[in-house]
Amino acid sequence: MKKALLFLLLVSSVFAQSYNFTELRYSDAINRYTLLEGKISFLKNGLNIQYPKSSRELDYKDETLSYYEEEKEISLPQVQVSQMIQYFEILRLLHSGDESELEGMFEVENQADGKILKPLGAIKNFISNIVLKKEDKRLQNIKLFLQNNDTISITINDEIR
Amino acid sequence: MTKYANFLILFILLGVGVLLKDNIHISTNLLSLFATQESVEKLTIANNLGYSKEMLIAVKGFDKEAKKELREISKKLKELQYINFVQSSIVPTQEIQEYYKNYYPLLATFNDTNITQEQVSQKLQALYEGQLSSVFYSSIDKNDPMGLFKLNNIKNSNVSHKGEFITLGEYGYLIRVMTDISPSQMREAKELYRDVHSLLSAYPEAVAFAPFFYTVENSTKIQADVEWIIILSTVILLLIYYLFLKNIRLLSQIVIALLSSMVFASLVSTLFIENFHVLSLAFGMSLTAVSIDYLLHYYFHNFYEKREFIDKNVLYGYLTTVTAFAIFSFIPIPLIAQISSFAVLSLSFAYLLFTFVFPHLGVKKQYRVEKVEGEKREKKAPAFLFFALSLVLFAYSAFNFKLDSNIRNLDYQNLHLLESEKLFKSNNTTKITPVIVEAKTQDKLIEQLHQLQLLLPDTFSLAAFITEQESCHKRAERLQQYDFKNLNRLINEEAHSIGFREDYFKDAYGFVAPLAPCRVAELDIFQTYGLSLYKERDRFYTIAFISDVKKVQNLPYITHINVKEMFNRSAQKMYDDLLKYGSIVLIMIFVLLFLSVRQRFIYAINYILFPLGLTMAVVVSIDAINIMHLFSLIILIAIGIDYGIYMSNSIKPSSTMLAIKYSLLSTFAAFGVLVFSTIVALHSIGLVITLGCGAIFILIKAMK
Repeated sequence: MKKALLFLLLVSSVFAQSYNFTELRYSDAINRYTLLEGKISFLKNGLNIQYPKSSRELDYKDETLSYYEEEKEISLPQVQVSQMIQYFEILRLLHSGDESELEGMFEVENQADGKILKPLGAIKNFISNIVLKKEDKRLQNIKLFLQNNDTISITINDEIR
Repeated sequence: MTKYANFLILFILLGVGVLLKDNIHISTNLLSLFATQESVEKLTIANNLGYSKEMLIAVKGFDKEAKKELREISKKLKELQYINFVQSSIVPTQEIQEYYKNYYPLLATFNDTNITQEQVSQKLQALYEGQLSSVFYSSIDKNDPMGLFKLNNIKNSNVSHKGEFITLGEYGYLIRVMTDISPSQMREAKELYRDVHSLLSAYPEAVAFAPFFYTVENSTKIQADVEWIIILSTVILLLIYYLFLKNIRLLSQIVIALLSSMVFASLVSTLFIENFHVLSLAFGMSLTAVSIDYLLHYYFHNFYEKREFIDKNVLYGYLTTVTAFAIFSFIPIPLIAQISSFAVLSLSFAYLLFTFVFPHLGVKKQYRVEKVEGEKREKKAPAFLFFALSLVLFAYSAFNFKLDSNIRNLDYQNLHLLESEKLFKSNNTTKITPVIVEAKTQDKLIEQLHQLQLLLPDTFSLAAFITEQESCHKRAERLQQYDFKNLNRLINEEAHSIGFREDYFKDAYGFVAPLAPCRVAELDIFQTYGLSLYKERDRFYTIAFISDVKKVQNLPYITHINVKEMFNRSAQKMYDDLLKYGSIVLIMIFVLLFLSVRQRFIYAINYILFPLGLTMAVVVSIDAINIMHLFSLIILIAIGIDYGIYMSNSIKPSSTMLAIKYSLLSTFAAFGVLVFSTIVALHSIGLVITLGCGAIFILIKAMK
């Protein structure tokens, strides 16, 4: 029994952590909200996001971003790739919860139910601030307030593994 | 009163020195001794462009821990003194981003076709739908919704990167630090060196390298090395004189005479010779010790007691040595020319003192001539045998002769730093070379950088950020002619009907007016990319990073900064000059020797040929010959001439041999002890002089 428990612990730490999530975007340009549902997996050297309803997938591994529609790779404009990579790096960092790295990139304001992060480097040209909400010490919601008044809110629904 | 003449002369000289101290100029620029004037100027410009002020710090690996270390080190480095900027990411600095914003309409490509209402409608519709259907977030550019302007990614071929972070090939992350330290700022270099190493002591996986590390580490080693050599040399010299001469009074008079000769030569050299180097001064002072030959010869031959006016042998020895150095003083190698001039001055002054002042000092002989085997001629080998042996040794040396043209090899071989430098060089995947580009005006310089960009498209220079004046003015004209007002009206009308938020595009294309001036003033901001501008005597200089030097080496405005090649070229020229002047000196010595010794010419010439042959044969068997070996061979010639003349013309060989033995010992103490140095330049001198002294010793013992 002990051995089985140890094995389970080992497996859960080696494999990626995956979550179902809901993404609510607000576009200031058109003054409308868009809702997307997907699955996000945090891998050792990157992350993977799948949107099953539209059969689309974004795979970010070793600083390289690939985009698939109906399992076919589609190339994206470089500007968009750079933006997405920055965005994914922030997601990875928020998921890791690495305090020292967070403090290297953001001015961190701790609150009772989470944190407010104000960017320090070049990303402050795109992001005004990020609000993190926690529930039972687990990250529940990430809300990005962008400089162009758009917002992106990601809610973790459940952990798959 | 005459007994104190020696002291009086020294005081007078020191007094003159104090009076003229403001006119004494000593150079400490080491480059000027080895590189050509042109190379020195180019290297100075390269230094002013920040070429050697860069410090590199590599953090091994690309994992989370490495990234964390990278951030921490970068942050701490920014707090240190003498640091201009720290770069670990390719993200442009705030200043450069501001520059992009101001110069965007002039830098970006511009599609100036007229946009119809239909095209506006289609584009806005696509943007609207994209916001609703795209799985990844993309923002709308409300300033240029039609996408008329496009700023191409600037390829910074100067660095490799993973994501936004700069990397050292596949080794790990890299931090580029621009310091304020120039090669001559020792105090500041030491402070920064200490601070950086104390900071990095907490990060064992981090490796740092900067050219100024050599300055700090080597100078400390060299200082320690020289200090112990000086102590060793002084102790040996004092021991020799005390134990063998047993004459403290004579010893003090010798020291005073040598000091006077050094002060005299130093005064004349530093007052009248331009850029006289401190190194030449140091070597010149050591060389003054050769003049002890004169005194010892006089002393052991009772010259001072006999009160003779002149000793022919010493005079011939002195004249031959001084003529040799006088010829070398015209050699276009500053180091050798300066040392030779110094030697002419100091040896002449010493000769005058020992010949004309010492007889009046009341120096009395206090030794017993030991029975030397000088008279046992039958057991000795004939001179022609040594002559033949010398020729064989020369032939052997000629066949195995290999020149070391890398002047850096002369320095202290700092293996630990050389290893660090190699790590950065071997892992660097950006195979680019810095070149200096120069022009009479800033505009012409930018124009030339654009020409270079056309020849080699992967060039990284200020041309990536600044447009040429002509094309900039053309662009400004095109922008002024384009009807942006009408386009803005169309966009706002269509946006409203499609469903965009009211006034979302009200500022569209407002950024095209007013335009920034075509001549960019704030060029300093590009220093973070290693690109700076430097003006000297009405010429403008900058650095460009190119992939193929051969393709552009014929362009008159390009100079390839290759320190190693510059020094190699200088070294090659030095060897050629040394060979030329060395030959002249040897011919002159042959003639003078022949005139002074006549029938014993072969015997006398052996005192030059045998030490040279033996030393060269040993040195070529061990290593390649460097400039310091060659220079020491010249000193060896100077020593050999005197002994050759003394021995050939000696009526009392036992006294001459004794004088030479002491003289050899003092030469070894002055120069030979350098063989114990860990600095290659000094070790080379020591090795040659020690071997040479050994060879001369063999001659006095074994040649008849």
